[in-house]
Amino acid sequence: MALLAHFVSADHPRPGVFAQSGSPDLARCVLIFGIGFQIAMLGTSAIAYAFDERLVNAINIWTKPLKFQISLSLHMLTMIWLMPLLSESWLRSRSIRWSATAVAFAAMFETAYIVLQSARGRGSHYIVQTPPEAAGYAAMGVGSVALVLGSFILGFAIWRTGGRAHPGFRLGAILGLTIGSVLTLVTAGILSSGRLIESGRWIAGLKNDASGLPLLGWSTTGGDYRVAHFFSTHIMQALPLLGLTADRLLPSKVRLVVGVGALGSVAVVAATFMQARSGLPFLAW
Amino acid sequence: MDFHFLFLLCNQIVLVSWLVLIALPRWPLVIATMRNGIILLLSLLYAVLMFVYFFRVEGGGFGSLEAVRALFSSDPVLLGGWVHYLAFDLFVGLWVAARADEIGMSRFLQGPILLLTFMFGPAGLLAFEIMRRSRQVFPPPPEGI
Repeated sequence: MALLAHFVSADHPRPGVFAQSGSPDLARCVLIFGIGFQIAMLGTSAIAYAFDERLVNAINIWTKPLKFQISLSLHMLTMIWLMPLLSESWLRSRSIRWSATAVAFAAMFETAYIVLQSARGRGSHYIVQTPPEAAGYAAMGVGSVALVLGSFILGFAIWRTGGRAHPGFRLGAILGLTIGSVLTLVTAGILSSGRLIESGRWIAGLKNDASGLPLLGWSTTGGDYRVAHFFSTHIMQALPLLGLTADRLLPSKVRLVVGVGALGSVAVVAATFMQARSGLPFLAW
Repeated sequence: MDFHFLFLLCNQIVLVSWLVLIALPRWPLVIATMRNGIILLLSLLYAVLMFVYFFRVEGGGFGSLEAVRALFSSDPVLLGGWVHYLAFDLFVGLWVAARADEIGMSRFLQGPILLLTFMFGPAGLLAFEIMRRSRQVFPPPPEGI
């Protein structure tokens, strides 16, 4: 009997405090774990970038994983940054906990798939030639919806929380997260649907990445829908930063400043979208 | 001895173990079966294979890639090497699961990490260790916003 009891004891700890209780720190921890995964993949991909001679669309095959790891980390970092604007009951709520988990999980999936495809010497977006790749691309679409749904829900929850402190920061966070998420969904949706264009991201110009802008990769010879996607997504950082600045410098006019900023950013997205649609590059290099 | 059969058998057992570890609740009996049963049986198989076949390999050893390649030219030693992976990767998987449960990491986040450990052992361990430590890198949220 003693031997049996000894066999059954597995030294496995009981689930930790964050898992069981509605700890207000849980959602934040989930996102931090998510960022940790991105950083691990980022380090590996960066070294692979230096060693791997394979190309996709005429650029290093590890460029894309690196860009995604950086931007997904930034997305989660933004959520962590804005989360203190929530009340404690919202922080404990199921909706915020599940939003954070969905975002971290979806980001892990996107990165895992993009890294896998790069390791296999293949692209990831628009690659649907084999059934597993078609499923992978479709799953990335589902994942990206989860990513923006999470940030949208955070914006909504900050709005519901209310509060008077830091009005500009708060308003910037609410508008940035909601508008940024919706516009990202719209621009990325159009980008991925292939309804407007067959090649996905490019209109006219050279259809490769080698002639693109440094780092961003946007076409310098033709229209590129990724520009509008970029500006949509970074509204999530721009408006809270604008609000913080307004809190400091123009505390009496924060609503005006953030409101104008919100309208302006929507205008920038619309303008870059139309620019790409007419086949014009954002910057001719 | 039929090494091909042993290879398939070990693979199947380990595959089921990983699926259980990834998807099912962490029942103590199940964990104990893996930790004290499956892993130790694999270790025993490995040890026996090494006792019997390791030193038969001409030019085999750990000192150079050529010596290791020579080892893997022998089916039983190759099987032993594979069983070594299976046993140690599963052990690391159980360790990751235990540490992850300890700090309350969501099972949804554990899933991909364990899958990565299953397929590419050290890559999963690397990812988990950085995830685990990233919590200390981020300061706690400021009070009173």
